[in-house]
Amino acid sequence: MDRAQADVLDNTLVVLLAGGQGERLYPLTRDRAKPAVPFAGSYRIIDFTLSNAANSGLRKINVLTQYKSYSLQRHLQLGWNIFNYELGEYLNVIPPQQRMATMWYRGTADALFQNIYILERLRPTYVLILSGDHLYKMDYARLLHYHVQNAAHLTVACIEVNREEASRFGIMQVDDENRIVDFDEKPAQPKPIPGRPGAFLGSMGVYVFNTEELVRQVIADAKRDTAHDFGENILPGMIRDRDVFVYNFTDGAVGRPYWRDIGTLDAYWQASMDLLGPGPSFELADTQWPLRTYQEQHPPARIISTQGTGDGVAANSLVSAGAVINNARVTDSVISPGVTIEPGASVEGSVIMKDTVIGARAKVRNTIIDKNVHIPAGAEIGFDPDTDRRRFTVTDSGLVVIPKELPFEQPTEAVV
Amino acid sequence: MTKILVVEDDKNQQELYRQELIEEGYEVDVAGDGREAITKVQEARPDLVVLDISMPGMDGIEAMGKILGGDNRIPIILNTAYSSYKDNFMTWSADAYVIKSSDLTQLKNTIKQILESGGQQQTE
Repeated sequence: MDRAQADVLDNTLVVLLAGGQGERLYPLTRDRAKPAVPFAGSYRIIDFTLSNAANSGLRKINVLTQYKSYSLQRHLQLGWNIFNYELGEYLNVIPPQQRMATMWYRGTADALFQNIYILERLRPTYVLILSGDHLYKMDYARLLHYHVQNAAHLTVACIEVNREEASRFGIMQVDDENRIVDFDEKPAQPKPIPGRPGAFLGSMGVYVFNTEELVRQVIADAKRDTAHDFGENILPGMIRDRDVFVYNFTDGAVGRPYWRDIGTLDAYWQASMDLLGPGPSFELADTQWPLRTYQEQHPPARIISTQGTGDGVAANSLVSAGAVINNARVTDSVISPGVTIEPGASVEGSVIMKDTVIGARAKVRNTIIDKNVHIPAGAEIGFDPDTDRRRFTVTDSGLVVIPKELPFEQPTEAVV
Repeated sequence: MTKILVVEDDKNQQELYRQELIEEGYEVDVAGDGREAITKVQEARPDLVVLDISMPGMDGIEAMGKILGGDNRIPIILNTAYSSYKDNFMTWSADAYVIKSSDLTQLKNTIKQILESGGQQQTE
């Protein structure tokens, strides 16, 4: 990296929008903001975006929080207190200040509008806007370099999506120079990439702005009665009279390109499954692109097999420190720190969060169990959707979700 | 009649603005600091606010945020003796930035332009 590129990084402020309510991840977001939802055993969803920023050489980070920020704030304090202020590095966690308004953030653009004071104090040349709910590895330095090379006002990072996915994204059309010429937010009739029917350019919600341009745009937006959303309300105007470019995620992806929005329970589950198996779609063990988090002290995971009484097996799974699999079978699952799986139990295609206990002989399949739940001995979860629906959240695809600390006072019907 | 709220802490200047703007045919109300300005905007619903920045109590920048938070369309002209605020992002929400002068011609012209354009003018 030459001097000029280093200067670009040094003059870039990262603003990570961590204020969304995450309603579609309920009940995992019952007690925490979406970016603070545990993922892959010992991580939180926000860790991947923050790791990307840190690995890209970006060390000036503001995390804007809003709803249910206690858990997120605590995680960042414990796990990301690694920046050195004296070297110009920082990670600030900023709750709403109500400086420019007396209301909470009405949208992504409003979150920036309400924090113009911070942009004024810090005066970065560029602002990189990120959201804390996606799983991917990306070198933002390459994105920034591209933005500077194009002398762009705004650069929008994009992934290629298929027709079915396109209706959930902001879809872009570009010219030969990658300049955005058309934009539709969540279109019913998306326009494909020219010459490639079935392929669409979807916005990742990752934006690089020149700071002065950003300030002008969010002020103008604040004076209109809009949804105050970057994609919906700011992009369409800017592509008419500003230099707005697309940056293809595959050009900035680290390793095999992989990107997933962990915005729904099914997507959360699928992303968890993507961590498993040989050569997983998303590799956690990456020495080139270390993924950091906060880890409590735990002894190593223990897998107990007592001869003649059954088996202690964890196949095709992530097993975190402090977990105990005692004569039980775990397959295709994510086992978080401190989880105990008692003798004769089986866990299959599931995500078990911290300190949860799966009682003896219980059977759990296609289920996400949040922290500190005690599944009674002999219970069966994930086998009969009708029974599960009476007690738990069950998605259309049949995934069962059990919220944090849910008490099981009565034995379930399946107890023998 | 078009109502203008002048927010200014200096009594002599208050009087000067009042007289000159009344002569222009406007109805003029005056507030002595930012806090009073917020109250008067809510109560009297002026068509435009002329806002000093440096004032005791609540300054003009903070007041502007609060005023726009209540009504995002009300035109605001920042009127200050200092040009240095002009680069401050916090002032960019104003529709115009006019440096104070004993000659109010520029201020009057700006008021007229903004009212005629329906508050669409942007500070650049």
